[in-house]
Amino acid sequence: MISGTASSDGAPAQGAPDGHAAVELENVTKRYGDVTAIEDFDLRVEDGEFLTLLGPSGCGKTTTLRLIGGFEAPNRGEIRIGGEDMSSQPAYRRPVNTVFQQYALFPHLSVSRNIGYGLKHAGTGREETARRVEEMMHLMQIPDVGDRRPRELSGGQQQRVALARALVMNPKVLLLDEPLGSLDYKLRKDMQFELKRIHREVGVTFIYVTHDQEEAMTMSDRIVVMSNGHIEQDASPAEIFDRPRTAFVADFIGDTNIVHGTVTRIENGHASVDLGPLGEIGGSTDDKIAAGDRVRVSIRPTDVRVEHGDSGGAVVQDSVLVGGHIAMKITSGSETVVAHVGRGSSFEPGSDVRLHVDSDRIRIFADKPEPAADESQDAAQA
Amino acid sequence: MSDAAAQVGLPPVTPEVDHKEGKGRGRAFLGIPVVGWMFLFFAIPYTLLFLQSLWKPTAFGVSHDWNLENYKLVFFGDALSGNIYIPTLLRSLKVGALVTIFATTLAFPIAYLLAFKIRNSRTRLVLYVLVIVPLWASYLLRAYAWKVILGQNGLFASVLDQVGLANTFLSNLLYSQSAVVITMTHIFTPFMILTIYAVLERLPPSLIEASKDLGVGRFKTFFTLVVPLALPGVIAGATFTMGLSTGDFVAPQLVGGPHDVMIANQVYSQFGATNNWPLGSAIAFVLLGFVAILVALSTQAERREQL
Repeated sequence: MISGTASSDGAPAQGAPDGHAAVELENVTKRYGDVTAIEDFDLRVEDGEFLTLLGPSGCGKTTTLRLIGGFEAPNRGEIRIGGEDMSSQPAYRRPVNTVFQQYALFPHLSVSRNIGYGLKHAGTGREETARRVEEMMHLMQIPDVGDRRPRELSGGQQQRVALARALVMNPKVLLLDEPLGSLDYKLRKDMQFELKRIHREVGVTFIYVTHDQEEAMTMSDRIVVMSNGHIEQDASPAEIFDRPRTAFVADFIGDTNIVHGTVTRIENGHASVDLGPLGEIGGSTDDKIAAGDRVRVSIRPTDVRVEHGDSGGAVVQDSVLVGGHIAMKITSGSETVVAHVGRGSSFEPGSDVRLHVDSDRIRIFADKPEPAADESQDAAQA
Repeated sequence: MSDAAAQVGLPPVTPEVDHKEGKGRGRAFLGIPVVGWMFLFFAIPYTLLFLQSLWKPTAFGVSHDWNLENYKLVFFGDALSGNIYIPTLLRSLKVGALVTIFATTLAFPIAYLLAFKIRNSRTRLVLYVLVIVPLWASYLLRAYAWKVILGQNGLFASVLDQVGLANTFLSNLLYSQSAVVITMTHIFTPFMILTIYAVLERLPPSLIEASKDLGVGRFKTFFTLVVPLALPGVIAGATFTMGLSTGDFVAPQLVGGPHDVMIANQVYSQFGATNNWPLGSAIAFVLLGFVAILVALSTQAERREQL
């Protein structure tokens, strides 16, 4: 169920149902030597959408982006942009533009000439080029840096120049490869809103690659969570956060505690699980599980309430201040649980406590082998 | 990948460097070996040479009469043999320029291939070593090798024979300026490759991808992006090649003809056969002056490139 099937649940209903998607990948496989980056990958990106490919490094997200951009050729499968097969077209003939990870600004050209580079070589007249460059710099809110060299700009400004240089070409799709990776935290936050604003204003389809789940959550219309070259879940940010389809997604999206237990009762996708020393807990599941199965339960640290308890139960191991809240590491038997609580309701390390969990956000997953074994399963099916 | 920006000279932060004076004063002694070396092996010999050039040659040595006669002889010649040094110097500069042009033309594609087209790191290493290996062989050996190749019954002549070009202007290459240029091009091309490769290697491939991404084809990307960005390396390599080949005396001696004598051969013979050290020193200093001008110009060009 987690192989490369891109169901579009949670995707905003944009574009005509029978019209062409902005980008379609069908059965795409890309190998580097013996290493398979993505396998039998299907993806459909709607017109005007802000889609994020999210996953840990090595999951194939950047490869996917580079395949769309034309910097890599697939071993198998078809890549369509605006309905046209682009699989064999080189990068310079594709109606997409890229914002590179390190911006890749041309160091020997001024900002204006960087932004006008593509237009100039496309044979656009000097006046129109100047006008469109000016327009872009205005949109990016960097009006006065045209004569400077890229290295004279701050990281945030370089970022905006890279965006302007790509968007001035009026691409059908803008590809962004971890563009905020090298900015500091505050600037990254600001740029997230900026990107969202720019996306709204230009209306171009954005395909954004990141490993930062917070970034993905903030900006995307739809998130595709990837791992080991296949899609784990394809849904809206809220859906992914509230109803992660797999333990991998639950673990990757935001902090979570994954604890082990045994199913005691199951009914209509709602299961009760015995967590041993942590007591019994109820939560929802999409997996096929039966009473008596071993399962993994995802509990968000913010959903854990901590109260005074009797000795012999759970014990606070550690308690640290993390910004606005306190993170407490609590052990009970062999399980360790992290709880986030308000600053007023923390306990000293060594305290005996009792844990309560609000059940509506608990997710239960069948206990099965880790992703590595998953792949061989996929291969067997293929 | 993360430090790629810094490598092309794109510091992540605006480079407002504070030049704090005196911070390194305590470590000044670290410079002593360098200064000592330069003084001992550079300043002293050059000073002695310069003094020599202002003295007067005698039958068996030098008399310490200060005069500018040697320089006058270099620039204007004398009644007996006419002006021979300046034409030789100009010929040397011409040979140097030709060698530089050919070496650059040969080296650039190889460096480009090495930096961008060879994806397999082992193949790249093998090619890189192939570029370097000739540098391990003695200069003389390589010059002699060309003697064998270009000689009357040499490899080149037999190839010409095969393709029916025997007894054309091509068959008399040895002992000509062409032979000198060919030999020196062979000798200096590896240096050119290394300096250009050093620059190209540090160009993030994403720059080239960005150019293609913006709709510019391979060929145009090469000329509008790769060549300008490689210019600092080309300038550095060209300065090196030009300086060394202009002042070379081995190639003209071994594969050049009687009319292909270069300026360094003149210096050589003044110090050797003629035993006229003051004149030899004067010629050497005039050559040094030209090379210094060359280096100054190229440094300026390089600096403009980096702005």
